[in-house]
Amino acid sequence: MSDYDFDRLNVLLAEDSPFIRSLLVNSLKVLGVGNVYAVEHGGDAIHFLQRVKNEPMRVGVQQIDIVISNWDMHPVDGMMFLRWVRRHKDSPDRFVPFMMITSYTEPERVLQAREMGVTEMLAKPFTIKNIGEKLISIIERPRQFVHTKDFFGPDRRRQKLDHDGPERRVLTDKSEGVEIIRG
Amino acid sequence: MAEKKPVIVRFYRFKNRLKEKTAGLAPGKVTISPEALEAAEEALHKMAEDYPDWVSGLIVKLQEQHGRCVDTPEKRRDCFEEINRIAHDMKGQGGTFGYPLITTVSDSLYGFTQSREEISDNQVELVKAHLDAMRAVIRGRVSGSGGDIGQKLIEGLNQAILKYSKK
Repeated sequence: MSDYDFDRLNVLLAEDSPFIRSLLVNSLKVLGVGNVYAVEHGGDAIHFLQRVKNEPMRVGVQQIDIVISNWDMHPVDGMMFLRWVRRHKDSPDRFVPFMMITSYTEPERVLQAREMGVTEMLAKPFTIKNIGEKLISIIERPRQFVHTKDFFGPDRRRQKLDHDGPERRVLTDKSEGVEIIRG
Repeated sequence: MAEKKPVIVRFYRFKNRLKEKTAGLAPGKVTISPEALEAAEEALHKMAEDYPDWVSGLIVKLQEQHGRCVDTPEKRRDCFEEINRIAHDMKGQGGTFGYPLITTVSDSLYGFTQSREEISDNQVELVKAHLDAMRAVIRGRVSGSGGDIGQKLIEGLNQAILKYSKK
């Protein structure tokens, strides 16, 4: 058994509360995350990612590995930011793991974020253990990305359940109309 | 050329680069070191202890803005904007540090300081009622729902809201 080495990780953090922001930066650093880039809201985060795309040398980072964002922020909130990351043509990495922090844990809100392509949700109030578990889930259990006419994001099916009836799904990997992209 | 059927769904399956980056190529189970977890948990607690002080600092700022509302009525709108911003900041994390009452009170303050046409003396008074409630929560270290004391504080605040919202 060995320990993760987060030293080479680049994390972008968008959180508008200075107190929570410094708390999260601090926690991630103590967990060993090498680089945490903290910004104040979704707009700043978008701007930062654009710079990573256009002038990586000047920003000093080639690629953001994980995005962590609060949901409730002004003027650009976490959902708008997530939408931009997943759908905008200027987004440097539409597949980047996106962890949304929120005190809205009503099922419909969680669903809303999932439909927008969120990777993990971190509920407030959180503990370090919660953050650690989400990081491990992102690293150990990445999901394939699914692109249909009305969805783009990590596969919403997390589990592979055994099923002893006949296979009735219309599309399989070999069907026409299914395209698989590997990389 | 054969006609190509339109794509209905596209699956992207990538190599797990994040895992390579963080766990290396060594086989076996990888974990976050318990020492690191413990150190981080400790750091979090330490910051949580500082939370009441941090809130007190914000209450002082709110108080300054309230004073400006009283002294310079023509600047009330600016002051309310600033109060609104601070209240938003506070309402987000009270619960995280065991002070849900701070969240309740700042949420209410946030709600009624949103942009409005004219700001009456009563509304300025109402800001003060909120500040008093917050101060009472922090001074008494009223964590959680605060039991009877918490109940009384919220009732008092609600009465003030009723009283002062009659323009």
